[in-house]
Amino acid sequence: MKAYVASVGLEKVGDHWNESLLDLAVSASLKALDGRKAAPQQVIVGNMFSSAGARQEHLGALLASSLGLKGTPAYKVESACASGSTAFDVAYSLVKSGAIDSVLVVGVEKMRDVEPEEVSLALAMAESVEYTQFVGASFAALNGLLARHYMERENVSRDDLSALPVLSHANAVTAEHAQFRKAITPEVVARSAMVADPLRLFDCAPVGDGAAAALLVNENAIGRAKSGLVEVLGGAIATTEFSVYERKDMLRFEATEMAFRRALEQAGLPASKVGLIETHDAFSVVAALSLEAMGVSKKGRATMDAKEGRFNLDGDIPINTFGGLKARGHPVGATGVYQIAEAYLQLTDAAGKNKVKDLDYAVTQNVGGVDTSSVVHVFGRAQ
Amino acid sequence: MAIQFWRIRDRYYRLMGNRCDDCGAEFFPPVYRCRDCGSRHLADKDMPRTGKIMTHTQLHEPLPGFESEVPLNLAVIELQNGARVLAQIVDTPQEKIETGARVRAVIRRVQVDGDSGQILYGYKFVVG
Repeated sequence: MKAYVASVGLEKVGDHWNESLLDLAVSASLKALDGRKAAPQQVIVGNMFSSAGARQEHLGALLASSLGLKGTPAYKVESACASGSTAFDVAYSLVKSGAIDSVLVVGVEKMRDVEPEEVSLALAMAESVEYTQFVGASFAALNGLLARHYMERENVSRDDLSALPVLSHANAVTAEHAQFRKAITPEVVARSAMVADPLRLFDCAPVGDGAAAALLVNENAIGRAKSGLVEVLGGAIATTEFSVYERKDMLRFEATEMAFRRALEQAGLPASKVGLIETHDAFSVVAALSLEAMGVSKKGRATMDAKEGRFNLDGDIPINTFGGLKARGHPVGATGVYQIAEAYLQLTDAAGKNKVKDLDYAVTQNVGGVDTSSVVHVFGRAQ
Repeated sequence: MAIQFWRIRDRYYRLMGNRCDDCGAEFFPPVYRCRDCGSRHLADKDMPRTGKIMTHTQLHEPLPGFESEVPLNLAVIELQNGARVLAQIVDTPQEKIETGARVRAVIRRVQVDGDSGQILYGYKFVVG
């Protein structure tokens, strides 16, 4: 059975001092459900750390109840920073199989209500409490270790790395839901505060609140209307050795390699047909290694390709077309749904100034941990 | 929370990992199933206490409990048997912390449990 994204809802990522976790989730949900008579048959929430960020769990029932969906099955799916896309993948399996005809997927994260150290600790929970947190290594520290290894082994410079955040910020300028709509230069990255040497503040995705929703339906639920539909052509999740330092080759993002290959196989699509990738640039080095894992760039070449403009909106394979995690923002458990919603906007010609021309197929790649989990989906225009 | 670390104190004090009875591969942290051959026959084994730095970082934004140690030097260390450890580098001049540098394990205070005040000890590494 064919599966489609029928609508999406996006909140601007940022500081939502006047809105709660639930306010954000409801608001994104209502945008996605706007104008629809039939209620979704199931609600799945993607979220990483509402317990730490808002002292709230049981999000599925909380959201369904708030939306007036009495009786509807509802639950939360967690897979660190890949929670949103993992929730989407569960929904995709349900509607694709025909077990359920329509599912509302909502990614939400509240990060700004608590102190930065608490956010650091919550993010570090994606990594081993016994061998990573225990020694004082934050999530940024792991990525700093990875970045130095990448620079030393592949001969990549500090300035080369900056090309990726510069690109993301350039695309966010015209993205209404982006957290930082401001272009930056490599000098801004190089001068920003050191976080985990060699990674600086502008190598790292920011902290922000956000919520994004997508309504997934199958052929039983679309009625006659074919407009506004984007087909989900494939989806896959892969996992690998839990901690990056346990892997024989730390620079190989094997989970992304596997998820990308499987998702394209499901879609029956050669990689050469992919016209856009929303990739997981939580850190500049993660974007580089992700692009290399997907075969978009040769090993060690991703930052060069970025510098040469290959990934720009008018390049041969645009990435992070609304600013990616770095500039659109990275409300962790919501990020995967933002990426999917952005692919939807592109494939329904609703991307405004961020539109990628002549686009037929888009890919989203969302990562939990340092490519410990990777979730890839493939989208195309509804036929 | 100290109990979750006390439980595995042998790993922190002695770098206790394990070794596959079938193929001889050695692991730290210990694994439940051999990563190389899939065997479930593994025995405890203390790791060698020397190795070299594969990559390192200096962390400026600490996790709660590590505020007084900022900036914190961290490294991925490849031990002589090929197993890897993520650990702090201490008692070493900054310029000596570099990729390829030889390091050895020492026992140091790692954390103080916030609720109970219990001191948690574990491995750190020094260059030289």
